[in-house]
Amino acid sequence: MKTGILNFLASVSLIALVTGCTKEPLNNLTDDESRIYITNHDSTVNFKSFHTFSVADSVALVNNNQPGGKDQTAFDVQFISALKAAMAAAGYTLVDKSNNPDLALAVTVINNNYSGIISYNDYGGYYGSYWDPYYWGYPGYSYYYPTYYGVYNVNETALTVDMFDLKDAASSNQLKNVWTALIRGEGIFNTDKATSQVQSLFSQSTYLKIN
Amino acid sequence: MKNSKIVLLLMLSVAGIVKVNAQQGLTKVEVNYSAAFPTSSFKDLISDGSFRGIDLKIIHNINDKIAVGLTTGFQDFYQKYPRAVYKLNDGSDVSAVVSNSVQTVPLLATFHYNFGPQQRLQPFVGAGVGGDIVLYRQYLGEFGSSKNSFAFQAQPRIGLYFPFREGGTTGLTLSGYYNIIPFKYNGTTNLNSFGVSLGISFPTRNY
Repeated sequence: MKTGILNFLASVSLIALVTGCTKEPLNNLTDDESRIYITNHDSTVNFKSFHTFSVADSVALVNNNQPGGKDQTAFDVQFISALKAAMAAAGYTLVDKSNNPDLALAVTVINNNYSGIISYNDYGGYYGSYWDPYYWGYPGYSYYYPTYYGVYNVNETALTVDMFDLKDAASSNQLKNVWTALIRGEGIFNTDKATSQVQSLFSQSTYLKIN
Repeated sequence: MKNSKIVLLLMLSVAGIVKVNAQQGLTKVEVNYSAAFPTSSFKDLISDGSFRGIDLKIIHNINDKIAVGLTTGFQDFYQKYPRAVYKLNDGSDVSAVVSNSVQTVPLLATFHYNFGPQQRLQPFVGAGVGGDIVLYRQYLGEFGSSKNSFAFQAQPRIGLYFPFREGGTTGLTLSGYYNIIPFKYNGTTNLNSFGVSLGISFPTRNY
Protein backbone atom coordinates (compact mmCIF):
# COMPACT_ATOMS: atom_id res chain seq x y z
CA MET A 1 0.00 0.00 0.00
CA LYS A 2 2.83 2.34 0.97
CA THR A 3 4.63 1.55 -2.30
CA GLY A 4 1.44 2.26 -4.24
CA ILE A 5 1.08 5.69 -2.65
CA LEU A 6 4.73 6.49 -3.36
CA ASN A 7 4.31 5.44 -6.98
CA PHE A 8 1.20 7.59 -7.27
CA LEU A 9 2.92 10.62 -5.72
CA ALA A 10 5.94 10.18 -7.98
CA SER A 11 3.66 10.03 -11.00
CA VAL A 12 1.70 13.12 -10.04
CA SER A 13 4.94 15.02 -9.35
CA LEU A 14 6.27 14.07 -12.76
CA ILE A 15 3.10 15.20 -14.49
CA ALA A 16 3.12 18.51 -12.59
CA LEU A 17 6.79 19.05 -13.42
CA VAL A 18 6.33 18.42 -17.11
CA THR A 19 3.14 20.40 -17.62
CA GLY A 20 4.61 23.30 -15.65
CA CYS A 21 7.56 23.42 -17.99
CA THR A 22 5.58 23.89 -21.19
CA LYS A 23 7.02 26.73 -23.23
CA GLU A 24 4.41 29.35 -23.97
CA PRO A 25 5.65 31.26 -27.06
CA LEU A 26 4.14 34.62 -26.09
CA ASN A 27 5.78 34.47 -22.66
CA ASN A 28 9.17 34.00 -24.27
CA LEU A 29 9.18 37.14 -26.41
CA THR A 30 10.78 40.48 -25.62
CA ASP A 31 9.09 43.63 -26.91
CA ASP A 32 11.64 43.81 -29.73
CA GLU A 33 10.93 40.21 -30.70
CA SER A 34 7.18 40.77 -30.62
CA ARG A 35 7.33 43.32 -33.44
CA ILE A 36 6.85 42.54 -37.10
CA TYR A 37 7.88 44.74 -40.01
CA ILE A 38 6.04 44.30 -43.29
CA THR A 39 7.04 46.12 -46.46
CA ASN A 40 5.80 45.93 -50.00
CA HIS A 41 6.41 47.88 -53.17
CA ASP A 42 5.35 48.31 -56.75
CA SER A 43 7.70 45.97 -58.57
CA THR A 44 7.27 47.90 -61.84
CA VAL A 45 8.79 51.01 -60.33
CA ASN A 46 12.47 51.82 -60.71
CA PHE A 47 13.43 53.54 -57.47
CA LYS A 48 16.62 54.82 -59.05
CA SER A 49 14.51 57.16 -61.17
CA PHE A 50 13.60 59.25 -58.12
CA HIS A 51 15.97 61.78 -56.63
CA THR A 52 14.18 64.03 -54.16
CA PHE A 53 11.66 63.48 -51.42
CA SER A 54 9.64 65.21 -48.77
CA VAL A 55 8.02 63.90 -45.59
CA ALA A 56 4.76 65.13 -44.09
CA ASP A 57 5.63 66.99 -40.88
CA SER A 58 3.00 65.33 -38.74
CA VAL A 59 1.38 61.97 -38.34
CA ALA A 60 -2.10 61.09 -39.52
CA LEU A 61 -4.31 59.34 -36.98
CA VAL A 62 -6.85 56.73 -37.89
CA ASN A 63 -9.01 55.67 -34.98
CA ASN A 64 -11.46 52.86 -35.40
CA ASN A 65 -11.17 53.17 -39.17
CA GLN A 66 -12.16 56.84 -39.02
CA PRO A 67 -9.95 59.88 -39.61
CA GLY A 68 -8.68 61.14 -36.25
CA GLY A 69 -6.80 64.25 -37.25
CA LYS A 70 -3.05 64.78 -37.08
CA ASP A 71 -0.55 64.61 -34.29
CA GLN A 72 3.07 65.47 -33.63
CA THR A 73 4.21 63.74 -30.46
CA ALA A 74 7.85 63.38 -29.42
CA PHE A 75 7.77 59.92 -30.94
CA ASP A 76 6.30 61.25 -34.20
CA VAL A 77 9.05 63.85 -34.48
CA GLN A 78 11.73 61.25 -33.81
CA PHE A 79 10.23 58.79 -36.26
CA ILE A 80 9.93 61.36 -39.06
CA SER A 81 13.48 62.49 -38.40
CA ALA A 82 14.69 58.89 -38.65
CA LEU A 83 12.74 58.49 -41.88
CA LYS A 84 14.47 61.51 -43.41
CA ALA A 85 17.86 60.17 -42.34
CA ALA A 86 17.18 56.74 -43.81
CA MET A 87 16.06 58.21 -47.14
CA ALA A 88 19.14 60.42 -47.24
CA ALA A 89 21.33 57.39 -46.52
CA ALA A 90 19.67 55.65 -49.49
CA GLY A 91 20.80 58.51 -51.71
CA TYR A 92 17.66 60.64 -51.91
CA THR A 93 17.69 64.38 -51.30
CA LEU A 94 15.31 65.97 -48.84
CA VAL A 95 13.52 69.02 -50.22
CA ASP A 96 10.63 71.11 -49.08
CA LYS A 97 7.28 69.99 -50.44
CA SER A 98 7.05 73.30 -52.32
CA ASN A 99 10.09 72.29 -54.39
CA ASN A 100 8.39 69.53 -56.39
CA PRO A 101 9.81 66.44 -54.69
CA ASP A 102 9.80 63.18 -56.66
CA LEU A 103 8.55 61.21 -53.67
CA ALA A 104 6.19 62.01 -50.80
CA LEU A 105 6.28 60.08 -47.54
CA ALA A 106 3.56 60.07 -44.91
CA VAL A 107 3.24 58.33 -41.58
CA THR A 108 -0.05 57.05 -40.17
CA VAL A 109 -0.89 55.71 -36.73
CA ILE A 110 -3.76 53.25 -36.77
CA ASN A 111 -5.55 52.64 -33.52
CA ASN A 112 -8.58 50.41 -33.53
CA ASN A 113 -10.07 49.87 -30.14
CA TYR A 114 -13.51 48.45 -29.96
CA SER A 115 -15.68 46.55 -27.60
CA GLY A 116 -18.35 44.11 -28.50
CA ILE A 117 -21.21 42.48 -26.75
CA ILE A 118 -22.54 39.08 -27.53
CA SER A 119 -26.03 38.59 -26.29
CA TYR A 120 -26.71 34.95 -25.74
CA ASN A 121 -30.20 35.59 -27.01
CA ASP A 122 -28.62 36.40 -30.40
CA TYR A 123 -27.48 32.87 -31.01
CA GLY A 124 -29.37 30.93 -28.41
CA GLY A 125 -32.36 30.82 -30.71
CA TYR A 126 -30.42 28.49 -32.96
CA TYR A 127 -29.78 25.96 -30.24
CA GLY A 128 -32.90 24.04 -31.07
CA SER A 129 -31.74 23.41 -34.62
CA TYR A 130 -28.48 21.93 -33.34
CA TRP A 131 -29.64 20.14 -30.23
CA ASP A 132 -33.33 19.73 -30.09
CA PRO A 133 -34.39 19.40 -26.43
CA TYR A 134 -35.17 15.81 -27.44
CA TYR A 135 -31.40 15.33 -27.55
CA TRP A 136 -31.29 15.87 -23.79
CA GLY A 137 -34.26 13.66 -23.22
CA TYR A 138 -36.87 16.45 -23.06
CA PRO A 139 -38.95 16.23 -26.24
CA GLY A 140 -41.44 19.05 -26.67
CA TYR A 141 -39.59 21.40 -24.35
CA SER A 142 -38.05 24.70 -25.45
CA TYR A 143 -34.93 26.51 -24.40
CA TYR A 144 -35.11 29.57 -22.13
CA TYR A 145 -32.39 32.22 -22.00
CA PRO A 146 -31.99 34.76 -19.27
CA THR A 147 -30.44 38.04 -20.41
CA TYR A 148 -26.79 37.07 -20.47
CA TYR A 149 -24.13 39.15 -22.18
CA GLY A 150 -20.56 38.40 -23.09
CA VAL A 151 -18.30 41.45 -23.43
CA TYR A 152 -15.06 41.46 -25.37
CA ASN A 153 -12.49 44.14 -26.16
CA VAL A 154 -10.09 44.32 -29.08
CA ASN A 155 -7.21 46.78 -29.34
CA GLU A 156 -5.12 46.95 -32.51
CA THR A 157 -2.37 49.45 -33.07
CA ALA A 158 -0.11 49.81 -36.07
CA LEU A 159 2.25 52.30 -37.59
CA THR A 160 2.40 52.67 -41.36
CA VAL A 161 4.61 54.56 -43.76
CA ASP A 162 3.48 55.23 -47.31
CA MET A 163 5.53 56.51 -50.20
CA PHE A 164 3.84 58.17 -53.20
CA ASP A 165 5.17 58.90 -56.66
CA LEU A 166 4.85 62.66 -57.27
CA LYS A 167 7.23 62.74 -60.23
CA ASP A 168 4.77 60.92 -62.49
CA ALA A 169 1.62 62.29 -60.89
CA ALA A 170 0.91 64.72 -63.69
CA SER A 171 1.09 62.09 -66.40
CA SER A 172 -0.90 59.46 -64.54
CA ASN A 173 -3.24 61.93 -62.90
CA GLN A 174 -2.86 60.11 -59.57
CA LEU A 175 -0.52 59.85 -56.61
CA LYS A 176 0.53 56.28 -56.91
CA ASN A 177 1.68 54.37 -53.83
CA VAL A 178 5.04 52.82 -54.66
CA TRP A 179 6.15 51.60 -51.22
CA THR A 180 4.33 50.82 -48.02
CA ALA A 181 5.52 49.71 -44.62
CA LEU A 182 3.70 48.45 -41.55
CA ILE A 183 4.94 47.99 -37.99
CA ARG A 184 3.02 46.07 -35.37
CA GLY A 185 3.84 44.69 -31.96
CA GLU A 186 4.73 45.78 -28.45
CA GLY A 187 6.37 49.13 -27.74
CA ILE A 188 6.20 50.46 -31.28
CA PHE A 189 5.58 54.00 -29.99
CA ASN A 190 8.61 54.11 -27.71
CA THR A 191 10.65 57.16 -28.74
CA ASP A 192 13.95 55.37 -28.23
CA LYS A 193 12.83 52.67 -30.68
CA ALA A 194 11.84 55.04 -33.49
CA THR A 195 15.19 55.02 -35.28
CA SER A 196 15.79 51.28 -35.08
CA GLN A 197 12.30 50.60 -36.40
CA VAL A 198 12.86 52.83 -39.43
CA GLN A 199 16.21 51.13 -40.03
CA SER A 200 14.48 47.75 -39.98
CA LEU A 201 12.06 48.90 -42.67
CA PHE A 202 14.82 50.12 -44.94
CA SER A 203 17.18 47.23 -44.38
CA GLN A 204 14.57 44.80 -45.74
CA SER A 205 13.76 47.12 -48.68
CA THR A 206 17.06 46.81 -50.48
CA TYR A 207 15.57 48.10 -53.75
CA LEU A 208 14.88 51.45 -52.08
CA LYS A 209 18.05 53.30 -53.04
CA ILE A 210 19.53 55.35 -55.83
CA ASN A 211 22.94 53.69 -56.03
CA MET B 1 13.84 -37.50 5.29
CA LYS B 2 12.58 -38.72 1.96
CA ASN B 3 9.22 -37.08 2.63
CA SER B 4 10.97 -33.81 3.50
CA LYS B 5 12.79 -33.88 0.17
CA ILE B 6 9.51 -34.50 -1.68
CA VAL B 7 7.82 -31.62 0.16
CA LEU B 8 10.77 -29.34 -0.58
CA LEU B 9 10.68 -30.35 -4.24
CA LEU B 10 6.96 -29.66 -4.41
CA MET B 11 7.42 -26.26 -2.79
CA LEU B 12 10.15 -25.33 -5.25
CA SER B 13 7.99 -26.47 -8.15
CA VAL B 14 5.04 -24.40 -6.97
CA ALA B 15 7.34 -21.43 -6.45
CA GLY B 16 8.66 -21.93 -9.96
CA ILE B 17 5.18 -22.04 -11.44
CA VAL B 18 4.21 -18.90 -9.55
CA LYS B 19 7.40 -17.23 -10.70
CA VAL B 20 6.84 -18.19 -14.34
CA ASN B 21 3.31 -16.84 -14.24
CA ALA B 22 4.11 -13.79 -12.14
CA GLN B 23 3.24 -11.39 -14.96
CA GLN B 24 0.24 -13.21 -16.33
CA GLY B 25 -3.01 -11.32 -15.79
CA LEU B 26 -1.14 -8.44 -14.25
CA THR B 27 -2.22 -4.91 -15.12
CA LYS B 28 0.48 -2.32 -14.78
CA VAL B 29 0.82 1.41 -15.05
CA GLU B 30 3.90 3.00 -16.53
CA VAL B 31 4.76 6.62 -15.85
CA ASN B 32 7.73 7.87 -17.83
CA TYR B 33 9.59 11.09 -18.35
CA SER B 34 10.17 11.50 -22.08
CA ALA B 35 12.39 13.51 -24.35
CA ALA B 36 11.81 13.67 -28.10
CA PHE B 37 13.82 14.87 -31.06
CA PRO B 38 12.17 15.95 -34.32
CA THR B 39 13.23 14.21 -37.51
CA SER B 40 12.27 14.37 -41.17
CA SER B 41 10.01 17.27 -42.19
CA PHE B 42 9.26 18.15 -38.56
CA LYS B 43 12.91 19.08 -38.13
CA ASP B 44 12.43 21.95 -40.60
CA LEU B 45 9.76 23.35 -38.31
CA ILE B 46 11.43 22.67 -34.97
CA SER B 47 14.96 21.34 -34.85
CA ASP B 48 15.41 21.58 -31.08
CA GLY B 49 14.80 18.51 -28.97
CA SER B 50 11.98 18.56 -26.47
CA PHE B 51 12.78 17.74 -22.85
CA ARG B 52 9.25 18.43 -21.71
CA GLY B 53 7.31 15.26 -22.02
CA ILE B 54 5.55 12.48 -20.26
CA ASP B 55 4.67 9.02 -21.48
CA LEU B 56 1.86 7.12 -19.73
CA LYS B 57 0.75 3.55 -20.24
CA ILE B 58 -1.62 1.06 -18.84
CA ILE B 59 -0.78 -2.45 -19.99
CA HIS B 60 -2.28 -5.78 -19.26
CA ASN B 61 -0.13 -8.90 -19.43
CA ILE B 62 -1.94 -11.60 -21.37
CA ASN B 63 0.93 -13.88 -20.45
CA ASP B 64 4.55 -13.50 -19.37
CA LYS B 65 5.62 -12.26 -22.77
CA ILE B 66 2.69 -10.53 -24.37
CA ALA B 67 0.97 -7.42 -23.07
CA VAL B 68 -1.60 -5.09 -24.58
CA GLY B 69 -2.76 -1.71 -23.41
CA LEU B 70 -3.16 1.97 -24.00
CA THR B 71 -0.54 4.69 -24.33
CA THR B 72 -1.03 8.40 -23.89
CA GLY B 73 1.20 11.25 -22.82
CA PHE B 74 2.29 14.71 -23.75
CA GLN B 75 5.25 16.26 -25.52
CA ASP B 76 5.88 19.96 -25.90
CA PHE B 77 8.04 21.11 -28.82
CA TYR B 78 9.06 24.73 -29.12
CA GLN B 79 11.59 26.76 -31.00
CA LYS B 80 12.15 30.46 -31.45
CA TYR B 81 14.15 31.51 -34.48
CA PRO B 82 16.19 34.72 -34.65
CA ARG B 83 14.69 37.61 -36.57
CA ALA B 84 14.76 37.04 -40.31
CA VAL B 85 13.05 38.44 -43.41
CA TYR B 86 10.53 36.17 -45.11
CA LYS B 87 9.19 36.68 -48.62
CA LEU B 88 5.44 36.20 -48.88
CA ASN B 89 3.44 35.19 -51.95
CA ASP B 90 2.01 38.69 -52.43
CA GLY B 91 5.54 40.07 -52.85
CA SER B 92 5.75 41.60 -49.41
CA ASP B 93 8.68 41.12 -47.07
CA VAL B 94 8.05 40.34 -43.42
CA SER B 95 10.73 40.71 -40.80
CA ALA B 96 9.82 38.68 -37.74
CA VAL B 97 10.98 36.44 -34.95
CA VAL B 98 9.22 33.18 -35.74
CA SER B 99 8.17 30.90 -32.89
CA ASN B 100 6.87 27.42 -33.58
CA SER B 101 5.03 25.52 -30.90
CA VAL B 102 3.72 21.96 -31.18
CA GLN B 103 2.11 19.83 -28.50
CA THR B 104 1.28 16.21 -29.13
CA VAL B 105 -0.98 13.96 -27.09
CA PRO B 106 -0.94 10.35 -28.35
CA LEU B 107 -3.84 7.98 -27.83
CA LEU B 108 -2.54 4.59 -28.89
CA ALA B 109 -3.49 0.97 -28.66
CA THR B 110 -0.27 -0.70 -27.56
CA PHE B 111 1.30 -4.12 -27.89
CA HIS B 112 4.43 -5.30 -26.01
CA TYR B 113 6.47 -8.44 -26.41
CA ASN B 114 8.89 -9.25 -23.57
CA PHE B 115 11.88 -11.38 -24.64
CA GLY B 116 13.03 -12.32 -21.14
CA PRO B 117 10.28 -12.23 -18.55
CA GLN B 118 12.41 -13.90 -15.87
CA GLN B 119 15.64 -12.03 -16.46
CA ARG B 120 17.02 -9.18 -14.39
CA LEU B 121 17.09 -7.08 -17.56
CA GLN B 122 14.06 -7.72 -19.68
CA PRO B 123 14.29 -6.50 -23.27
CA PHE B 124 11.03 -5.87 -25.05
CA VAL B 125 9.67 -4.53 -28.30
CA GLY B 126 6.39 -2.78 -28.74
CA ALA B 127 4.14 -1.02 -31.17
CA GLY B 128 1.41 1.52 -30.79
CA VAL B 129 -1.19 2.53 -33.33
CA GLY B 130 -3.87 5.16 -33.02
CA GLY B 131 -4.21 8.90 -33.13
CA ASP B 132 -2.56 12.00 -31.83
CA ILE B 133 -4.12 15.27 -30.75
CA VAL B 134 -1.85 17.85 -32.35
CA LEU B 135 -1.83 21.48 -31.26
CA TYR B 136 0.24 23.53 -33.68
CA ARG B 137 0.86 27.25 -33.39
CA GLN B 138 3.14 29.51 -35.37
CA TYR B 139 3.84 33.08 -34.32
CA LEU B 140 5.33 35.88 -36.39
CA GLY B 141 6.35 38.15 -33.56
CA GLU B 142 3.31 38.11 -31.31
CA PHE B 143 0.87 37.38 -34.11
CA GLY B 144 -0.08 33.77 -34.35
CA SER B 145 -1.93 31.23 -36.39
CA SER B 146 -2.87 27.76 -35.31
CA LYS B 147 -4.03 24.41 -36.53
CA ASN B 148 -5.32 21.74 -34.23
CA SER B 149 -6.06 18.31 -35.53
CA PHE B 150 -6.33 14.66 -34.70
CA ALA B 151 -3.68 12.86 -36.72
CA PHE B 152 -2.85 9.23 -37.28
CA GLN B 153 0.11 7.95 -35.25
CA ALA B 154 2.19 4.80 -35.28
CA GLN B 155 4.90 4.19 -32.69
CA PRO B 156 7.39 1.30 -32.84
CA ARG B 157 9.35 0.92 -29.60
CA ILE B 158 12.21 -1.05 -28.06
CA GLY B 159 13.13 -1.03 -24.42
CA LEU B 160 14.38 -2.62 -21.24
CA TYR B 161 12.56 -3.34 -18.03
CA PHE B 162 14.57 -3.56 -14.78
CA PRO B 163 12.51 -5.05 -11.93
CA PHE B 164 13.58 -3.69 -8.54
CA ARG B 165 13.88 -7.26 -7.31
CA GLU B 166 14.16 -10.52 -9.16
CA GLY B 167 10.76 -11.51 -10.51
CA GLY B 168 9.29 -8.28 -9.17
CA THR B 169 6.40 -6.46 -10.76
CA THR B 170 7.65 -2.96 -10.01
CA GLY B 171 10.70 -1.56 -11.73
CA LEU B 172 12.29 0.90 -14.06
CA THR B 173 11.54 1.05 -17.76
CA LEU B 174 13.85 2.57 -20.33
CA SER B 175 12.74 2.70 -23.94
CA GLY B 176 13.34 4.32 -27.28
CA TYR B 177 10.62 4.88 -29.83
CA TYR B 178 9.83 6.53 -33.12
CA ASN B 179 6.70 8.62 -33.60
CA ILE B 180 5.20 8.56 -37.09
CA ILE B 181 2.61 11.35 -37.40
CA PRO B 182 1.52 12.54 -40.86
CA PHE B 183 0.62 16.23 -40.62
CA LYS B 184 0.31 18.52 -43.62
CA TYR B 185 0.34 22.25 -42.97
CA ASN B 186 2.44 25.21 -44.11
CA GLY B 187 4.88 22.98 -45.98
CA THR B 188 5.24 20.52 -43.13
CA THR B 189 4.38 16.95 -44.11
CA ASN B 190 4.84 15.15 -40.80
CA LEU B 191 5.64 15.51 -37.11
CA ASN B 192 7.90 12.48 -36.89
CA SER B 193 10.25 12.31 -33.95
CA PHE B 194 12.57 9.98 -32.11
CA GLY B 195 11.93 9.67 -28.39
CA VAL B 196 13.42 8.17 -25.28
CA SER B 197 11.60 7.61 -22.04
CA LEU B 198 12.57 6.57 -18.54
CA GLY B 199 10.13 5.84 -15.80
CA ILE B 200 8.59 3.52 -13.32
CA SER B 201 6.31 0.60 -13.95
CA PHE B 202 4.09 -0.71 -11.20
CA PRO B 203 1.03 -2.92 -10.81
CA THR B 204 -2.37 -1.32 -10.43
CA ARG B 205 -2.84 -3.25 -7.16
CA ASN B 206 -0.63 -5.16 -4.77
CA TYR B 207 -0.03 -8.83 -5.51
